Amino acid sequence: MLKNIRSGDLLPAIEKTIDQDRIMRWAKLSGDFNRLHVDPEYAQQTSFKGTIAHGPMSLAFLNELMMQCFGEGWAVGGKLLDVRFVAPIRPGDRIRIEGTVKDVQKKERNYHVECELSIKKQDGEKAVVGRAFGLLRAEEEE
Amino acid sequence: MDPMENKPELIFTDLPVDRAFRPLEYPITGELVQEFMETVGDRNPLYWDEALAQEKLLGPPVAPPGLAAIYARVSYLQDYTMPSGGVLAKQEFEFLGPIRIGDTLKVEARVVESYLDEKGRKRVTFLIRAENQKSVPISTIRLYAIWPK
Repeated sequence: MLKNIRSGDLLPAIEKTIDQDRIMRWAKLSGDFNRLHVDPEYAQQTSFKGTIAHGPMSLAFLNELMMQCFGEGWAVGGKLLDVRFVAPIRPGDRIRIEGTVKDVQKKERNYHVECELSIKKQDGEKAVVGRAFGLLRAEEEE
Repeated sequence: MDPMENKPELIFTDLPVDRAFRPLEYPITGELVQEFMETVGDRNPLYWDEALAQEKLLGPPVAPPGLAAIYARVSYLQDYTMPSGGVLAKQEFEFLGPIRIGDTLKVEARVVESYLDEKGRKRVTFLIRAENQKSVPISTIRLYAIWPK
């Protein structure tokens, strides 16, 4: 988990490759079998020209990043705000889940850490953007 | 969940403001957490390392908060299917309490906004609250969607 965090710091990024197998596993886990995600032949005929990953799977990736950085201070007290899906993530994409610390405020025994988050594709295009607040105990940070 | 279940589509006229859905009972099993970890690729030790969790969390391991991305959606689709073509415009989460393996969450979804925007698009906002079997609040979620029909 993070220590001595300051505005402008980068969160340790996570990289993943998305493939159709992962999308199928998410479909089974979530019960979302929309053909746009699970039927390549159908998806090819849509404006997306192929299957795309489920939006909520990206939310799970953002949660992974914040849990990695804040632990308990994410599981209890974390906030994920204004998450927008701005471009589809497709099988074969290599994605990078990253964040930047925008502000750190001490409130009572905790630091409230505001972060700007994004998921970028291999060409740098942003697929998902959002903001988050995680908590760090003051004694953890010092 | 059976993808071939024969449920009606949830359409915009089913979604007036204050429409509440029957509560979802969502059991947090070890198998669910394991499958989530493998699918997402999130193997945070706080989900499985008893000693670390005891040290950091003063209790047993927690389940991934990201499960909220799943139970939020299921909470309004227990009796319906989602029509094709919808857009998840925005989503927000607040995590209020830890989820533990063995918990059963009660998840309640309610429509808080339902309107046609300036371009005639069908906008729906859900407010979703989850609590555990002891009525301890777990999460509050707002899900903003553009409904397809």
